[in-house]
Order: sequence, then C-alpha cells, then structure tokens
Amino acid sequence: MKGKLKAFWSLLFGDSVRAFGVVSLVFLASLAIAPSKNYFSEWRHYQRGYLKMVRNRADAVTLQRHFQGGIQQIWLPEIGVVDRCESCHVGLKESSLANVSLQPYRNHPVIPHKLGEFGCTICHRGQGAATTVSEAHNSTLAWEQPVLPAKYVESSCGTCHRGPVPGTPRLNEGRRLLASYGCVNCHTIKLADGATMKPTDNPPSLSHIADKTSREWIYAWLKDPQAYATTATMPNFKLSDDDARDISAFLMANSTPISGDTLAISAKPSSDPTAGASLYGESFCASCHAVQNAAGNVVGGDVGPELTRVGSKVKPEWLQAWLRNPRIYNDGTPMPHYRFNDGQIATLSGFLLAKTDSDLLANVHLDPSTPQQVAHGKRLVSDYGCASCHEIAGIKKPDNFAPELSRIGSKPITQILFLAGMPHTLPDYIAGKIKQPRAFTTGLKMPQFTLTQTQIDDITTALLSLNDRANSLPPSMTVAAPSESNYQPAGQAGKLIHDMACMTCHRINGHGGDMAPDLSWEGSSVQRQWLTAFLKNPNTLRPALIRRMPKFNLTDSEVNQLSDYILAVYQSPTVDRDSMPLSGYPAGQVELGKQLFYGKYSCQACHIVDSNTDKGYIGPTLTQVGSRLTAAWIFQWLKDPQALRAGTIEPNRAMSDEDARAITAFLMSQKGGKQQEAAKK
Amino acid sequence: MADPKDFAAGIDSNAKKAPRRIVFVTRRTSAQVKAETEDQVQTFPEVLFRAAVAVEALAAILVWIALIFNAPLEGLADPSHTPNPAKAPWYFLGLQEMLHYFPPVVAGVMVPGLVVMALIVIPYFNINIEAEGFFLKDRQRRLRIFYIVAAALSIFLAWFHVIVALVPTLIMAGLMLIASRSSPKSPSAFRRYLAARPLSYWVMTWFLFELVVLTAVGTLFRGPGWSWVWPWQGS
Amino acid sequence: MAKTVDQYFDDLRETRVWRSIFRSGSGSSTLHRSLAIQQNVFLHLFSTKVRTRMLSFSATWYLGTLTLGTFLILVATGIPLMLYYHPSVPQAYADTKDLQFVVSSGIFLRNLHRWSAHAMVFLVFAHMFKVFYRGAYRPPREFNWVIGIVLLLITLLLSYTGYLLPWDQLAYWAITVGSNIASAVPFMGSKIHFLLLGGNAVNANALLRFYVLHCMILPLTAIFFVAIHFWRIRKDGGLYSHSSEPATRRTESAAKEVR
Repeated sequence: MKGKLKAFWSLLFGDSVRAFGVVSLVFLASLAIAPSKNYFSEWRHYQRGYLKMVRNRADAVTLQRHFQGGIQQIWLPEIGVVDRCESCHVGLKESSLANVSLQPYRNHPVIPHKLGEFGCTICHRGQGAATTVSEAHNSTLAWEQPVLPAKYVESSCGTCHRGPVPGTPRLNEGRRLLASYGCVNCHTIKLADGATMKPTDNPPSLSHIADKTSREWIYAWLKDPQAYATTATMPNFKLSDDDARDISAFLMANSTPISGDTLAISAKPSSDPTAGASLYGESFCASCHAVQNAAGNVVGGDVGPELTRVGSKVKPEWLQAWLRNPRIYNDGTPMPHYRFNDGQIATLSGFLLAKTDSDLLANVHLDPSTPQQVAHGKRLVSDYGCASCHEIAGIKKPDNFAPELSRIGSKPITQILFLAGMPHTLPDYIAGKIKQPRAFTTGLKMPQFTLTQTQIDDITTALLSLNDRANSLPPSMTVAAPSESNYQPAGQAGKLIHDMACMTCHRINGHGGDMAPDLSWEGSSVQRQWLTAFLKNPNTLRPALIRRMPKFNLTDSEVNQLSDYILAVYQSPTVDRDSMPLSGYPAGQVELGKQLFYGKYSCQACHIVDSNTDKGYIGPTLTQVGSRLTAAWIFQWLKDPQALRAGTIEPNRAMSDEDARAITAFLMSQKGGKQQEAAKK
Repeated sequence: MADPKDFAAGIDSNAKKAPRRIVFVTRRTSAQVKAETEDQVQTFPEVLFRAAVAVEALAAILVWIALIFNAPLEGLADPSHTPNPAKAPWYFLGLQEMLHYFPPVVAGVMVPGLVVMALIVIPYFNINIEAEGFFLKDRQRRLRIFYIVAAALSIFLAWFHVIVALVPTLIMAGLMLIASRSSPKSPSAFRRYLAARPLSYWVMTWFLFELVVLTAVGTLFRGPGWSWVWPWQGS
Repeated sequence: MAKTVDQYFDDLRETRVWRSIFRSGSGSSTLHRSLAIQQNVFLHLFSTKVRTRMLSFSATWYLGTLTLGTFLILVATGIPLMLYYHPSVPQAYADTKDLQFVVSSGIFLRNLHRWSAHAMVFLVFAHMFKVFYRGAYRPPREFNWVIGIVLLLITLLLSYTGYLLPWDQLAYWAITVGSNIASAVPFMGSKIHFLLLGGNAVNANALLRFYVLHCMILPLTAIFFVAIHFWRIRKDGGLYSHSSEPATRRTESAAKEVR
C-alpha cells in the first residue's frame, strides 16, 4: 500500500517537469471554475426559480415575454438610488402574481406612486446596490440600515411628505403624538424644511399652582400621574418619595398668588347632581374634557384635562373663579370664557367638586416643608427639566434639554448601546427607548410615558422619517406640510374670539383647531340673520354629532360685533356673496332644481330636505339652508366643493352652470318655514 | 595569458578584515565567483520549473481563498462618523499598539525609523557577521551589558505599563540567561543551540517576537477605545 | 505517446519563427540550457547554474519566489480592476460595489487581489526573517539585503495606498490613522502629512494621489528594484549556501577548536 502511494506520488511529482504539469493542471482547473462564483450567484438562482414557477401557470407565455434576464436596476442619480432589487424580485410589476406565496416573486401591492419612480430602497431601506439576500436585506458592515419592517414603512412616506397624507395614518398619528405628548418640549426636532416641530400639549404654568391645588395632590400626581387621570399625558418620572416631597415643597413655596384667581362666588357649590350633569352636557364640556364612566371607559374629548377626579385636585374657590373667567388664571388657555352666571357656576362647580377619589390622597401625609427640602426640590426641578414643559417662575426653560432628534432615523447603529437580547436594529432601539427609557443605562432622566404598543409604533414611525435622506432631498421632490399660520384676529372682535377661545375648535386662515368648521370664508357663506341667531343660541347643524357648539351667553352687542366682523372679514376671494339674490327665484327653476336634486344628482342620499321622506344623514340637514347660506356660496359649492373646503367628502359632480343655478334656486327656497319662526319666538 | 593552472582562486584567510575576493579572469570565461566546487544544476529547466510549481501552487490556493472568502467592504467613507476603534491595516497595528502607550513622535516616528535603520545596517557590522555565540567570548563584560540593557528595557516598559511588550522582553531575557549559562558542549541539544546563538540572533528574535505579539494584540484583542477585548467576545 | 509530443515540440523549436524568438535552439546540452537563461532578457538576471542543495525546500522555503508570485498575481488582477474603477469621490465606492455585485467575476478579482496583497506583505516579512536567520545578509550580499529592505518598504506602501482605494469606512479610517502618524515627525510633520494626502485630510485629492502611486509609481519602482534584487543574487555568487561561505566555515572550525 505504502509502496503504491509512493509510486503514485512519483508518477505525479517525480521530476520537476511532471510536477509542473500536474500543478499547472490543478491551477488551471482552479481558474476554470472561478467563474462558477459568478454563475451560482443568488440573483441567477432566483431568476431560474422564477422561470420554473412561471412555466406551470396559465399565463406562462405573457410572464415569460415580460421577463428580462440579467441584473435589473433602477438608477436615479439625483437622489442616489441604485436599486437592483428587481434582479431577484422579478414579478413586482405582474399584477397576476398578487397571491403568489413564494417570495421573492409576489407582485408589489398598488401604491400611489409608479413602481420605479423612486426605486425600492427609498421606502423599504436596505442596500439597493446589493444582489445577495443577506447584503440587500440585513444590516451588514457595508450597509447599516436593514430592510424596514413593514409596520414602520410609512416612515419613508414621511421623508418626502412633510405634512399628513391620507394613506399614512400611522405616520400622521406618530407626528401628532410627538407634538401632543410634549416630546418636542425636551427633544428639539428640526424638520427638513427648516422649521422646528412645535408642541401642542399646552402644559400648564406652575407659577401660581398654590392657588389651584394642594401640595398633597402635587405629591400624588408626581408619584403617579396616571393614578389621578388615566389619560394624563404627563409622564411618570419614577421619583422617590423624598424627591416628590421636595419638588412639591418647592412648587408650593415658589408659587405666587394672582388676584381674583381664588375669588369665590357668594353662592355655595350646589349639590344637585342632575342640574350639574345637564349643565355639563348643555355646555358641551365633554367635547374637550373626558370623564371615566362607571364601566371604566374614558368618554369625552382630549383637548382639556380629564375630570374624573377633579374634586380631589382643585380648590373650590379656584374652580369657581376659573369657571367664571379662565383667562384670569391662564390667558392662553384653550378653555372658552363661558360667561356663566353665579347660579350656573354654583351648579357646575358643585357637580365637578363631587368628582373625588378618596384613595388618591389617602396615604399622602406631608409634614410642613423645610428650606432644605425646597432648595433640593428646586435642584430636582432643574435636573429633571420640568421647565422644558411647564412655566415655573424663577427657572429658565432649558435649551436642548434632551438629545436632538432631527436625524434620529439615520442614527448609526455603531453609536447605539442596545439592551441585552434586543435585536440590533434602529427601529427596535427607538421603540425600546420609548417603551422603557430608563432601562438603557443608569442616570437617565427620560420619564416613563404611558403609551400603548400601537402608539409606540406610531411614534417610532414618525421618528424614523427624520433621517438623512429627508434632509438631503432636492426641494422639488418634497411635498411641504400645510403651513401653520400664527393668525390672530384683530380688534374688539378679535378680543372676543380670543376670550371665547373660538379657535380651540374652529380653524381660521390656517390657524386653530379642527373640531368645528373652518371659518375662514364664513362671511361669504352665511346670511347675517342666521349668524346672529346662531351665535345667540347655537342649535346644531349636524344632529348626529356629539360635539356641538356650546352656548356662550353673549350679549346682543357682542353678537353684533362678532357678526359684523365675520361677515366683513372672512370672505372668500372666489365667492361674491351679493352676486346672487337670496330669494325670488322663478318657480320653474326651483322645480327644475328639485328634479335635479332628487333625480340626476340624488343628493337625498346624504342630505335631508324633506324630513318626512329623506333619510340622508351623512351631510348636513338642508331643511333651512335657504335661510342659512348665501346663494352665491351654494352655487360655488355645487360647482366645486373642494375649492371651498379642501378635503370635504362632498363629491364634485362637475355640474353645468345651469344645473347648479337650478339646484341653488331649489335650495334657497328651503327657508325652514315654521321651524324658523318657532325658533324666533 | 599563461596556463590557467598557474593561478588559483584564493580565499583571504581573514574575512573579517578583508571580506573580498580576488578573481582572475581567464580567457573565454565570464566573471563568476567560485568559492568551492559543489553539485550544481542548470537553472533551466530544474530551477525554473520548481519555481513555477511553487508559484502555481500558491496561486491555486489563493484562487480558492478568493472563491470562498469575500474581501471586506464597509459603508461609504464618512468623515463625520469615526468607527471605534479605527484601525490601520494589520501590518501597522503593532505601531498603533505602540501609539497607545507612547507619544506619536516616539511610537510613530522614532521606533519605525530606528527599526528600518537597524535593519539596513545589519550586514555592515562585524558582530553580525561573525555569528559566534554571544556569551562565548568576553563573557563577563557581555553579561554585564546584557543585564544593564535588559533591566533598563524592562523598567522602561513597565514604567509605561506596556505589558504586551514587556512579556516578550522578559521571555527573551530569560532565554538569554539560559543561553549565558549553557556551554556548547552541553548534553542538551537545546542548550547547545542556545549557546551558539550570536547577538544579532537575539536582537532579531526579540524584534520578531515583539512584532508578532504587538500585531496580534492590535488585530485581535483591541476593541472600542483601544480597550482590551477577547476575540470571542464580539460586540 | 509522450515521445510523439516531445517530438512535436522539438519540431516546433526548429521552426523559423521559434528560432527567431528563442535563439538557444533545440537540444538539451548544458550549453543550450545555459544559453536559454543567458539569452533571455528576463532570465538572464539569474545565474545559469544553481547549487543543488539550494533547491531543497528547507533552504529557502521558496519565500522569495512566492513573493514574486503574489506580485505577478497582483499585477494580473490589478489591471482588470483598473478598468472598472474611477479614482473619484464617491464614485470609487460605487465602483467597488459594482465590482462586488454586478461585474461578472468582479468580486473574484477583487478577492484575489486583496488576499494576494495580504499574502505578499506576509511573505515579504517572512522572506526577510528567513534570510536573516540563514545569515544570507553577510558580505558580499549586504547591499542586496538593503535592496530587500527597500522592497519591504515599497510593498508596505503598495498595500497601504491600495487600502484606501475602495473608499469605504475601513479604508478611510485606516488611512486616516496611518497618515496621522506622519504628522508626528518633528518640525516638518504637517508638511509631510500634507504632501502625502494632497491636503490636510483624507479626501478626493488623497484618493487620486494614492491611486497614481498604487497603480503606476510604486509598481514600476518595485519592478526596478526586484530586477536589481535578482541580478544581485547572481552577481553576489548565487543563493547563499551556509556551509560554502568562508565566514561560516571559519566559525564552525572555531567552534570545533573550543570543543
């Protein structure tokens, strides 16, 4: 055996020429198989697999004709996209492959953009230039950002679309949460267009807090805000008992009184729960304030604070002064000045003060504070950046208290310290950081927010959209956010609008809330008589809605002042209110309009003109529209509703002028007759 | 010219003083140094084929390595994101390891400069040419010098906490100590071997040892902030 | 069969074309074989005869030969790589990516080039130490040793300049760290640093500079010195054979005397 091996060896390498021949053969063979690395590349494998899959299908011929072999790439030099995804994802554009379970061959779902318009990685991330699965999809040394999990994909919409888009609820909600949970009070977020994201959470000033509440409540609140109100956006700072004690001591010691702020009325808070509940309802407090009902559900709006346990919080005299005129304590509050009379204040304050929770403060026993505690509390207030959100007399609002998040969506993974067991990806890090901010290292100050997993994913989505790409796109590729103006109405009427906080609900000239209709062109659309009557006693236009305009007990002169201002100032440039008469349309035209209304355009599907026959509840009731709206407005509205109110669901039916005029005539004849007169009486 | 037999190529008896040869060129021969007759083979084909075999074998191995292992390629160069640690190519990591301990002018300029100078001048010093056991001659004086140099070097390295360079130095010093106590007639083959090592051997081996250890430490055992990590720890 | 191949080959060597290229002609006499070496512009750098003992693997480990081999591989792979490469920022990186993902066998070429480069640096060091431990630096070979050191430095520079060319993070920071050492030179450190990089930081200028050095200046310099290195082997008496050297023999006889 050994001899044979030896003989074999000398046969191969016996002399140098032989050895040269043998080794040359080995070397040439090695070189010859070198191209196999190229031949067995993954993309070829997937293309072969595609052709194999396609072969057995009914539409094989079509698919084979569409198929193009070789490396496929989308090249967009101006935005640095080189995407070769289609080398493996061969059937992206084949609509017949929608239900193929075998990836990478399924077709791409329909999206608002053309496939290939921007490439793949601009939405999905990953390394577009790569032609192997692991390099393209995963986080590698060459490319940190792996393919984005589908639940965060809306973040990529946000790189170009700076404002809300209908198709991206998650991104829109995330952006809203960033502003409304006060994230941006501490974390600066500079948007790609140069603006800074503004908070919308309106945290209260703490400079006069002793007027409003007790030290015990502050303590309980600091320890666990959600114990007081489950919907509170104030995060939990996980303070120790001593720290909460000292901060409450400092806030009380630091508070200065406001004259008139605790001015109790002569009448005692009434203890009539029925009257209180009905006044609470009539004033539509629930449009803004929520209350937890017996079933544990929180019902009501989220503009103002939850009132479930408000009786355990506020001092009675402060509450009454607040209900009388909230602007004394806080001029900028979104709460309207309701102009309640003393009786109403007594009823309402009694109703609210009864909302207590005996458990809340049961275990809070605080000794009188010492100067050391106050001093320590002040230091804690600075350390925790309380003044980033709350106005606190004597403490300056810190700049950039927390790390800036303007480019968090491109944070290099190498700069991230992950928790043990956490997937090493940026979305997981951001979500984890929001979920348990203090877990990452010791000494972190970020408090614990109370958020659902969905909300965390929403915020993560919004944060991922703040990336390098968003900051480097050419302006031509971006869709700017609708600009938020600082519009404030001027003059006496302006003061009234501010006093009643109209813009908490109404939007005017690009500023204000979205709870009630935009009033920017209200002057073109409504008749004066209706407007004054409405301001005096707002009845509802849309009975199906819970949120309605409350009654503000305005005086006649105030109503006139407001009406004059609205009619004179809030005019649409495209609607001349006097161009068409309010009445006197020929009967024939009215009849034609009626036929068009019920026939050609079937408006009764959504609107009610005759309350006996029509069943449309989607749009506003039109029984009195002839005494409410101007003819010119109705005409223009029929012609192009979206031009007057962007985003309205009223369809644009492309009416001819003649049809629109006829329907306008018909609608102007709907004066509401008896009801109107009954209302006048 | 006379009969070539009248001339014999001579070898100077004292190469230390006159390391040169005298060559007599006779007719029809080209200049060739002939120290001693020894078995020779023709370069063509014997040597050339062997060289070709060696090169082809290496090339085949490299081809296979290239087929199996992909060359690293990281993200696009970004001056604003410094990787931690930022490492030089592997053959400079010994230097980078030194930079961790000494100021750049020492570790980055003087040390490599001296190394290159030392390498260049090796063949120009007789002590490197004699190739005699270092401790065989002038033993007492050389031992004293060895003690002083080894102690000074160790103290210097310990002073700067250069443990990775100190350990090889101490090992080499230990080996030299054994060598100094070994005789060429020792029954142990290892001690005979050590006894016959010249100074240049000791210095070069120390340098090689340091080079390998420092490069290996810089390549495998250094993590973020040039801190010590074990290769299996990963990040 | 083998005979016939040999005959065909001999016939080939007798043709006019072959004779016009290789003048030594057919035949396997010592003369012919010597002429084959002497009359070839490349091979004439070597001596026509080599001591038999030097052929054994243990004598040299063939380290010098293997180093030359890696150099040849690097030239052979480097030239096709140059066809796909633009020395500009950030196109250089995109080109490297294309080599990896799109160019047919591009990744193979790049792998082979890079691993061969590492192998060459390692082999040059190994060659140096092997030569040292064999004592082959001794006169009359001292100048060839110096040339060897020069070639070591050229090899390091070749590898170092090539390291930057992919223009990735690894390249960028390795070169930044390496070039910062140059700034430590007293008095003119920053000048050297500037000269090396064509600027104060590693940027497009440095890339172009390194490209020219890597693809033209350094390879040509290396070829020049390699030629001298080989030629000197012949001129210095062939490969160093330990026991045939006067100095060594004297030491050994001295050792005997001690014994």
